[in-house]
Amino acid sequence: MLQYIARRLLLFVPTLIVISFMAFGLRQLAPGDPVDTLNKSGKGEMTGDLATIERAYYEKARLLQLDKPTFYFVINASAYPDTFFRVVQRARRQTLDAILQQSGNWAAVSHYFISLQHLDQAVRNLPDSLRGETSVQTQRNVQDLQVTAQIPLIKKRVELLKQRLATNPKLAASLKQATANLQQQFDLLQTQTQFWRLYLPSFKWYGLDNQYHHWVVGCLKGNLGISYVDGQPVTDKIKAALNWTLLINVFSIFLAYLFAVPLGVYAARRKDKWQDRVIGFFLFALFALPSFWVAIMLLVLFTTPELGMQFFTVTGISDLAEGATFAERLTANIRHLILPVICLTYGSLAYIARQMRGAMLQTLDQDFIRTARAKGIPERKVIWRHAFRNALFPMITLFGTIFPSMLAGSILVESVFNIPGMGKLAIGAIGQQDWPVVYAVLMIGAVLTMLGILFSDLLYAWADPRISAT
Amino acid sequence: MTTDTLTYQQAVWQRFRRRRSVRWALRGLYFGLFLALFADFLANDKPLFCQINGKTYFPVVQSYLVQLGWSHWDEPFTTEEWSEQKYTRVWYPLIPYSNTSIDHHNLSSTSPLEEQNVVSWRFRHWLGTDGVGHDVVAALVHGTRTALSAGMVAMLVASLIGIFLGALAGYFGDDGLYLTRIQVVFNLLAFPIGIFYGFGTPHYPAGEPLGVLGVSWGLLWLLGIQFLANVLAIALGRISWLGKKVRIPIDSLINRLIEVFDSVPTLLLILSMAAILARPNILYAMAIIGLISWTGIARLLRAEMLKIRQFQYIEAAQALGYSRWRIIFRHALPNALPPVLIAIAFGMASAILIEASLSVLGIGVAADTVTWGSLLRQISTTYHPEWWLAIFPGLAIFFSVLLFNYLGDGLSRAMDK
Repeated sequence: MLQYIARRLLLFVPTLIVISFMAFGLRQLAPGDPVDTLNKSGKGEMTGDLATIERAYYEKARLLQLDKPTFYFVINASAYPDTFFRVVQRARRQTLDAILQQSGNWAAVSHYFISLQHLDQAVRNLPDSLRGETSVQTQRNVQDLQVTAQIPLIKKRVELLKQRLATNPKLAASLKQATANLQQQFDLLQTQTQFWRLYLPSFKWYGLDNQYHHWVVGCLKGNLGISYVDGQPVTDKIKAALNWTLLINVFSIFLAYLFAVPLGVYAARRKDKWQDRVIGFFLFALFALPSFWVAIMLLVLFTTPELGMQFFTVTGISDLAEGATFAERLTANIRHLILPVICLTYGSLAYIARQMRGAMLQTLDQDFIRTARAKGIPERKVIWRHAFRNALFPMITLFGTIFPSMLAGSILVESVFNIPGMGKLAIGAIGQQDWPVVYAVLMIGAVLTMLGILFSDLLYAWADPRISAT
Repeated sequence: MTTDTLTYQQAVWQRFRRRRSVRWALRGLYFGLFLALFADFLANDKPLFCQINGKTYFPVVQSYLVQLGWSHWDEPFTTEEWSEQKYTRVWYPLIPYSNTSIDHHNLSSTSPLEEQNVVSWRFRHWLGTDGVGHDVVAALVHGTRTALSAGMVAMLVASLIGIFLGALAGYFGDDGLYLTRIQVVFNLLAFPIGIFYGFGTPHYPAGEPLGVLGVSWGLLWLLGIQFLANVLAIALGRISWLGKKVRIPIDSLINRLIEVFDSVPTLLLILSMAAILARPNILYAMAIIGLISWTGIARLLRAEMLKIRQFQYIEAAQALGYSRWRIIFRHALPNALPPVLIAIAFGMASAILIEASLSVLGIGVAADTVTWGSLLRQISTTYHPEWWLAIFPGLAIFFSVLLFNYLGDGLSRAMDK
């Protein structure tokens, strides 16, 4: 048995690795600049001159470990430098990337961009005597250029910049060196192309000090990262949410089994009679009933004042004082959980009952039942002593399939009933582009699903020792 | 005709049709397909036929041509709304509203029972309007199209992946696939190189997000390079050391992959993938659903192939020296495919359900798309007890899911699975 558990746990490892790749990869593809998301939430305004802004940005980025390479290695065009990851600002990296795709010569691209930044700094450092309409517009032009990626468009904007400066000779004279430098670097960028470097793959090894490694090691230590929205540890947020989700799911599964098993046995005993047909039809319909729709309907039913059925306060879990324990919250909110539990239960109930009926029929068909009946054992005893126990075995493995689908259902049900569980957390985080929370929930959901499957397999192996032997 | 002269397909079809629930489900399916195909002719704010200033138009037909760029709208239609035109003669579709048309006289959630501000009963909103003045019937009719195409696109993608992987796993098993050493090395090398040339080099406009075209090009490159590597490896395999055979436990590998996809919470993964799309589009969301829900098909096909490869006619084909790909695709797969229909029917049901969930949450679907789920979303966000917005779209989802479940159940009974 122990060996069986060990082997099953070992199989977890590759699955977990693949899922971690998935979660981490999606997080890389997610839009938006994490640092900007963190700033938008009001934690630290960025004002002041260019250098201060950049420094503040880098500090935030270092906090989120964005200044490290993404993965252990990268396979990309040899045009990209080893240190491309050091361009931390996401928008800037995309601009540089796009320019590089049209040139292939990193040295030229970076020199062009540095000259552009020098010009930006030069415009910012202008003495007050030169400030005015033209300087403000020049500055805007320079900022536009910093996010322009298409070379023809850059060309047009550089021309525009020069025309603008030509209207104000004093300003032009003070920026002369920087503009000339920019023009020169831009000309080099256009002429010194190295397209072949874009088509030559290269392999770059970065070692262990990378974002993925730190993330995975953190996850294993129970540190799931920092939320982009409020800078709180993701682990704390998830701990609070996980309690609610597990509570309603475990309770629903218990209820589903409690009602489904007798119902399935009853239907099997009345096989092909009208009771069986009615039960069969209702179970089939229940199974197809979308839980989020039922949730919404219940919500409408119990919140409409005209219908006079406001038995349940469905507006969500109320917040108790900070120090309240989970148990206190639970007793205060138990009435809120009735409807969500109903929504989660009936689908699995229908599924289990149908399976139970099938398993029962299969068992009743077997020889030992005929023998039992032939011995004159009363029908009640045959059903519950002989057939029921054997038919119950396959029900154990159902747990492995029900649990994941229930978790999925609870995402929607939680958001309809406003329960602060994992589902609501994930939906809210997706809306706010809080990717660490989203992908942490994804990972936890996967782990829970695997644990559920493992649990059902172990139960089955315990019930039927033949399983672990093979 | 007696049963033993029927082919397997005919016998299954007959057994399938015998059930009353299946016949009703089939009727429902035909009705749904009819709604989806002719949605524009059934519910549209443009007239089917009209006369203005002595000129005759067929606006619904013309709108297709305009979309294709083969035609353009004449003067009165470009300046005035359809409902404000001065027609001399006009035939409206059955429902004189489309899913995008907004009735400015019944803007905020008009109930089907209360008095409506409409010209005549012909323009009545039989099932009410939603919060922005969309007609609910029109939204239901056009939503049928979205839901069915969601299911179909998702199942197309899922079938492609599921059938390929399931067939490989089932036919070869753990001890049936041998590759030469050089083939293994080349395939492993070709994959990152293929990814690089497919997605890492500039053949789509720089800085633009990858569209359908970009992804297809990339996949084509990837497959081409993989193919080239295999051709090269087969040529090099003649050298004895390089040509030594290695056993590939393909069944275990694919089973592990199925396990991985099964243990990821599907809805959550689809949500987080759909949320990062550069341009939310129902089509991409459907493809993502397909990319994730292929495991059921693969598992079913694997089981079927495991059975089929034991049959004598496969052995005979092997003895005749047919290539393994020919045996898989010409001899084994056609016999293994019918049961896949079961998985596809159930998969359609769950794809429709997932599409509805996405629209209910408003993730991965463009904000102006009116679907069954988007009507439900208005309920769950506003807390206004607009029962007609809750009941009718919900019933549509429920009946379509029920229908495909009945079809799947009927198929599996007819095939004795």
